[in-house]
Amino acid sequence: MARSLWTGSLSFGLVNVPVALYSAVRDHDLHFHQLHEKDAARIDIRRFCAKEDEEVPLEEIGHAYELENGKTVVVTDEDLEAVAPRKTRTIDIEAFVDLADIDPIYFDHPYFLAPTGDSEGPRRAYQLLVEAMGRTERVALGRFVMRTKEYLVAIRVRDGRLALTTMRFGDEVRPSKGIDTGGRKPSKQQLDHAVALIDALSTDWDPTEWKDRYRERLQDVIARKRKGKRISAPKPEKAPSPVPDLMAALERSLAEATGKGQAGNGAGRSGDLADLSREELYERAQEADVPGRSSMSKDELVKTLSRR
Amino acid sequence: MARSLWNGTISVGLINVPIKLYSATESKTVHFRQVHLEDGEKIEHRRFCSAEDREVAYEEVVKGFEVGDDEYVVLEKDELAAAAGDRTHVVELERFVEADAIDPVFYDRTYYAGAGEKGADAYRLLHDALERTGRAGLGRFTFHNREYLAAVRSHDGVLALHTMRFADEVVPAKSVKFSAPGRKPRDREIEMAGKLVDSLHERFDPDKRKDEYREAVLDMIKRKAAGKPPRKPKEQPPEEAPDLMAALEASLA
Repeated sequence: MARSLWTGSLSFGLVNVPVALYSAVRDHDLHFHQLHEKDAARIDIRRFCAKEDEEVPLEEIGHAYELENGKTVVVTDEDLEAVAPRKTRTIDIEAFVDLADIDPIYFDHPYFLAPTGDSEGPRRAYQLLVEAMGRTERVALGRFVMRTKEYLVAIRVRDGRLALTTMRFGDEVRPSKGIDTGGRKPSKQQLDHAVALIDALSTDWDPTEWKDRYRERLQDVIARKRKGKRISAPKPEKAPSPVPDLMAALERSLAEATGKGQAGNGAGRSGDLADLSREELYERAQEADVPGRSSMSKDELVKTLSRR
Repeated sequence: MARSLWNGTISVGLINVPIKLYSATESKTVHFRQVHLEDGEKIEHRRFCSAEDREVAYEEVVKGFEVGDDEYVVLEKDELAAAAGDRTHVVELERFVEADAIDPVFYDRTYYAGAGEKGADAYRLLHDALERTGRAGLGRFTFHNREYLAAVRSHDGVLALHTMRFADEVVPAKSVKFSAPGRKPRDREIEMAGKLVDSLHERFDPDKRKDEYREAVLDMIKRKAAGKPPRKPKEQPPEEAPDLMAALEASLA
């Protein structure tokens, strides 16, 4: 189990449960370093005073806030400490709400809470919260402090654990007013067809069906480059133009979607490679270990795969 | 309206919906900039070559992926673009799922999609159909040379596009290990806790809770700028509860 990011207590009425906080996401991104092109040496970032043109040691650097009138106010660690929330070791539950009422737009970073210590009482109190909240799909709202900043958090039950998510404040979500919401209201027939099309393309949500193909392609590009191969950028695609006749396009889309449904995804396997998306072609190229696949256009992939 | 971040097309079957993307969220955390304490001047971050010990222009900096000890594979712009794929301006919604079935842990960033210049009727149609079905469309979305999984759903009269976390980026609950209590909570205790949950129940109102810390920091800065002394902080130590049942009863009393 990963290291905890924070320890403290979860305060629920007069019950305090000692808990530890763990991240609920992990980073699989490939990270790059800045290098000097000429000698491939690492780039260091050094801090300079803009006025004196001299490097400044860390001890001489402070934080400043720019006021609306352009003046700056230097803010010291002591200044920040004076306003730091006192309750740095407690998550205070203030209220309970229904999960369905919180739009996912408000959720920020996800974590887990686990009970700490060996004593029986806290672990039972943790279990009690899991059972009491889990039954009704209720979410606890509270506040807690991590690294001097105070967060609004939502705590809910996920697979028998208490999951904590930091929340965006109301004023950090922009109003959707002013966004162009399109043209005419669709006719009943159009809407019915669109709903039928969505139904035909609907499945159960299974997150494991979606792989990070960007990560795979990037790994592939790095491996090929390391072997000294040339990689060229794909040609930019042409922007598809809006269809002139919505109803006709809906009917054709629906016919294709339902046709595909009956064939059970077998269309590509037996038949025409050109019908597959570039992603599907890329997956096949990966299975067949086609060299240079990541830089191939859709047409090139079709050509190469059809030769095999 | 702020400037759009991305212009492209959402497609479903043969229907193309031109859209413009806008950020739906903005962090209001108070940000500081670095200054030289001696003279209050701005601090600049300059790039130096670690081997030559001299400043390097931005044009001379490249991105390198470390493959071994001090061994890097340098990727050019075109090569990074190759990894992004060729569908840079189309989000093809391949599947639809119940929006409520997606655990919120999968949602990452949110954007609003507004109707593009052409095809405004198609935008309205997609929005209304998603609203009626309560479904979210899933597809791939390329932004800043990187491909994301995106979910598109109706939200507050507009289309919202969320970038999504991949399944292997989400830590399974099972990996959070702790020993279960020797005795499970009693029904009576669960019932009491349930009552406490109910007594604190309210409707979620995002504007009800303010970022008090942000307000305190901004207040402190204003006072400091005006030469006023800082406010005295309040202190509230947390109480320890002795007995679970007694504590629950006391909470409800």
